[in-house]
Amino acid sequence: MTTLSDSGKLLHDLRSKCSSLKSAAELYKDCSAAEKKEMLALMNAAAAEIVKLLSQIEKSAA
Amino acid sequence: MEKLNILVLEDDKLAQKVMAVHLAGHNVDLADDLKTSLKKIEGAKYDLGFFDLMLGPDDDYSGLKAIAAAAARGVHCVVVSSSDSDEIIDRAYALGANDFYAKGNEESNVADILRKFLQNRKAAGAGDIFSSAFITCDPETKAAASEALKYAPTELPLLILGPSGTGKTSLAKLLHEHSGREGAFVSINCSAYTEDLLEAEMFGHTKGAFTGAHEARKGRLLEAHKGTLFLDEIGTMSPGMQMKLLKAIEERSFYPLGSEKTERSEFRVISATLEDPQALIAQGKLRFDLFQRVHGYTINLKPLTRRACDIAPLVQHFTKGGRRLAFTPEARAYLENYSWPGNVRELKKFVDLVSCGPEGRVDISAVKKHLKGREAVQQSPAQDGALYAYALANGLEAALEKVAGEIITRNLRENEGKKTKTMADLKISTRLLYSTLKRLAPEEEKK
Repeated sequence: MTTLSDSGKLLHDLRSKCSSLKSAAELYKDCSAAEKKEMLALMNAAAAEIVKLLSQIEKSAA
Repeated sequence: MEKLNILVLEDDKLAQKVMAVHLAGHNVDLADDLKTSLKKIEGAKYDLGFFDLMLGPDDDYSGLKAIAAAAARGVHCVVVSSSDSDEIIDRAYALGANDFYAKGNEESNVADILRKFLQNRKAAGAGDIFSSAFITCDPETKAAASEALKYAPTELPLLILGPSGTGKTSLAKLLHEHSGREGAFVSINCSAYTEDLLEAEMFGHTKGAFTGAHEARKGRLLEAHKGTLFLDEIGTMSPGMQMKLLKAIEERSFYPLGSEKTERSEFRVISATLEDPQALIAQGKLRFDLFQRVHGYTINLKPLTRRACDIAPLVQHFTKGGRRLAFTPEARAYLENYSWPGNVRELKKFVDLVSCGPEGRVDISAVKKHLKGREAVQQSPAQDGALYAYALANGLEAALEKVAGEIITRNLRENEGKKTKTMADLKISTRLLYSTLKRLAPEEEKK
């Protein structure tokens, strides 16, 4: 079976994190206050991961 | 709500949280790596599993291994992944996945997956459907209805074809019951109304919209919100009415008569006709665009005369809880060979009549008395409404060719494709057989 190259893996991770962030954003408005807090923390962490991944993609493209 | 045992294999914490919220109310187990998931699959009994495929930055689709293990234990496996190349999708299905969804649309997908899963389980568990809700022991009819039930929990419009009285409404109701739709089953026989009345019935009206409209009335389309709208005899609607209905189906909104405000209704359409829809289109009686909109999946119901094995169970069903009847062997044979032009509806009427009669044991004379004037003969092809309409639209020769094609195809199917047996059964020449098959080939390919 085809395996992903490093850049392919980075892009896959980026897509995955962005998808999770999108799904979480859609869900956010219906969450309870406690869940909102937890969700925001996780969304922040995912956003930081996305920034990290973007910088890695930028480096590999250079 | 039925509580399901669900496994979620997902390495991303945020995605795990999203799934946990969407699956609230069920017993959810989370696993973020292959080893944990395999251990959980081994040790517990899950109904449903959601699987991510790449677990961590250096992973190589290890989620696939969990799918194989879960599928082997009868878990309904759903992949939710960002890896959606054709090769990966193919591999996941080959290993036992039942569904494959791209990550990112959990809000609409998860609810849909749960609804479909629960409905299919209900349908599979309801083994007695054919001895209660839709009586038949005919293998062909059972297969057609079972196949249709697979589409019940989807949004796909369904079209039921069959002569009058074959159980189209019963089947439509059954499909609605298995759809998981929260709204009502709303039925309307399009042939029972004049154009104006049908419009008012379908779309509703405001007070004073027309003479006699003393008060506002909700239309059937609105009554079917989040439910099923069953349109019987769809081909009898005027072209203008068909156009209005098409617009309402496509836009999911419409104007009640006399109103300037649109009403919104999200209904699923199941329609039925006793005529050949292609012939109706050829005659200009059925709009092609409306036909395209309503015939997502088509079910054909055979007339009762072609499923004589259903007569006894139907009689039993109609007398359930009331006076039971017994038939002499001659009476039974007569019923089985009778043409039943009114199909199941006629049988029901017959049973009601004999049930009120003096004798519980029904003999041939009592049967003949009630089925008087309708000898036990097969319906002549010219009395078949759909075929007659087809002949009018395409000519007699084309209609005869159609009949020949249908008979040959059926016999070949019954003979498992053995052409020599079909030639002998039907007493036809090799030339006729092959020319018919050649003519049918493009149609078969289209199917």
